[in-house]
Amino acid sequence: MAMQFQRWFSKVVVAVGLSLSFAANTYAEADPKLWPVMQEAFFAKREMKDVDFIKIEAPRRAESGAQVPVTYSIDNAAANGVVIKKLYAFVDANPIPITAIYHLTDTLGNFQLSTRIRFETDAFVRLVGETADGSLYLASREIRAAGGCGGMVENNESEIRAAAGRIKMNVETPVKVGTPTTATFNIKHIMRTGLQRDLVSQGYVPAFYINKVDFVYGGKPLMTVDVGVGTAEDPYFKFSFIPASAGNLEAVATDNEGKTFSQQYEVKI
Amino acid sequence: MRILMITMSLFSIIGCSHAEVQHSNFAVESVADGIYVHHGEHLDIDTGYQGDICNISFIVGSKGVAVIDTGGSLKVGQQLQSAIRKVTPLPVLYVINTHVHPDHIYGNAAFLPKNPSDPKPEFVGHEKLANAMDVRSEQYAKLNERFLHDDAIGSELIKPTLVVKTTLELDLGDRVLVLNAHPLAHTNTDITLIDRKTGTLFAGDLLFIARTPVVEGDIKGLIAEIIKLKSSPATQVVPGHGPVTKDWVVALSNAERYLTVLLNDVRASIKGNVSMEKTMDTAAESERNHWKLFEIANRRNVNTIYPVLEWE
Repeated sequence: MAMQFQRWFSKVVVAVGLSLSFAANTYAEADPKLWPVMQEAFFAKREMKDVDFIKIEAPRRAESGAQVPVTYSIDNAAANGVVIKKLYAFVDANPIPITAIYHLTDTLGNFQLSTRIRFETDAFVRLVGETADGSLYLASREIRAAGGCGGMVENNESEIRAAAGRIKMNVETPVKVGTPTTATFNIKHIMRTGLQRDLVSQGYVPAFYINKVDFVYGGKPLMTVDVGVGTAEDPYFKFSFIPASAGNLEAVATDNEGKTFSQQYEVKI
Repeated sequence: MRILMITMSLFSIIGCSHAEVQHSNFAVESVADGIYVHHGEHLDIDTGYQGDICNISFIVGSKGVAVIDTGGSLKVGQQLQSAIRKVTPLPVLYVINTHVHPDHIYGNAAFLPKNPSDPKPEFVGHEKLANAMDVRSEQYAKLNERFLHDDAIGSELIKPTLVVKTTLELDLGDRVLVLNAHPLAHTNTDITLIDRKTGTLFAGDLLFIARTPVVEGDIKGLIAEIIKLKSSPATQVVPGHGPVTKDWVVALSNAERYLTVLLNDVRASIKGNVSMEKTMDTAAESERNHWKLFEIANRRNVNTIYPVLEWE
């Protein structure tokens, strides 16, 4: 799994070069020409169908490019038998366009997930759903992301390291068997992109980020998220799942330096 | 309205206090003996941004001039320089930046010496300013290019040559400015200064009047610094944005009230599991009618502080 994601990242480098050359032309709105190039880089020669059953909710205009709130959902009834197993989330004008890959299970029911992502400039969010047999489905949404200049206060390195990996979890009550239940997961982490200049050495500050979160409920896999640096600082995932019984919701996160952070939340019914 | 009046009045009254001097649509108001303020328009940094949205001031002593913020582009900096020349032939000794935001710093380049033999002013800022400028330079350059187009050309980033760690006194000749560095508040690079001679306090963006206050650094720190400013010996205050006022304690209290309501509302949302998205629609609603640019600025403030306050 990790290997696969790394392979993806190397493809990303190709896409980065392309997106930068486009970005050099200053445009006022998101550029629809970016995606065809990126689609070819990530899903070479594969067909992709535009669909309505995958949905993206987001502000038309993001207040701060550092923390753009988005909600992704899949309407199973409208999908009409198409079962999405993997959901790739891109911000197509970002230097590193992939923000996360979600590996889904049936226990999630009608998939619904809120998160916060980074925008370098105006861009389209592109969600690509993949089925078990490799069919691809696309949903897109344009977001204007000008004006925000937050999230750049320099921090103390030892404080960042000490705080990294702190987890908060919550499950909304009351919980009922067989009924969609909302869980919230926050993890403290600076999510360094690897593209920031080191002011002293004039090189780049190495990437330092959460690269994976595994959610397990009652001992069974619920969702795995391959996390990329397009996910905002202090990654946040709020999602619904359908508990079959009382049990423990476990989250295990890893960072790109190999550290593991975990927490459990006991769900009572 | 006031600007219109100034533009229509073609009197060029030099050295006369409480007069207005106008130069190429760059109006300056004299607010005390030797103190001039230009008011930018209340615009967001988005489509329509022209590099001239904050207050830009200069103070004239017997030896020379101090500039307080330079606007968002070389062009605005040059307009400021021309306005100074209409008032005095004395050299600019100090160019002070109240903090790192692009609307306040990109006119600095106008004050670099034209010839190597010309005297160079000291560029003055918070001890963290140079680093903050570096970290943001790429993003700000893109933003300037995008919104200012040709006006962005030559708007180079000029870093401080003289830093304020805690306090610093600058002598302009028969008048002393006292600069104070602040901890994390509006940004991590905030300084304020007071002209001892007239008791005019330049609050930078620790104080917004009329325009919705902006939090980027730390809302709790900003509230704390605003409260401290209330015990200043000032007679009048020049805010970072908005009109100059002698009713400055009220102005500080207004900003404090907005920020406190915002902080309490966001904390209540987090406690009650109300999402950031919903909170952006509802927080500080009672303040909406008191401020300009409320919709965008308030939403952005929530977007900035909510993810931080989640970890309280």
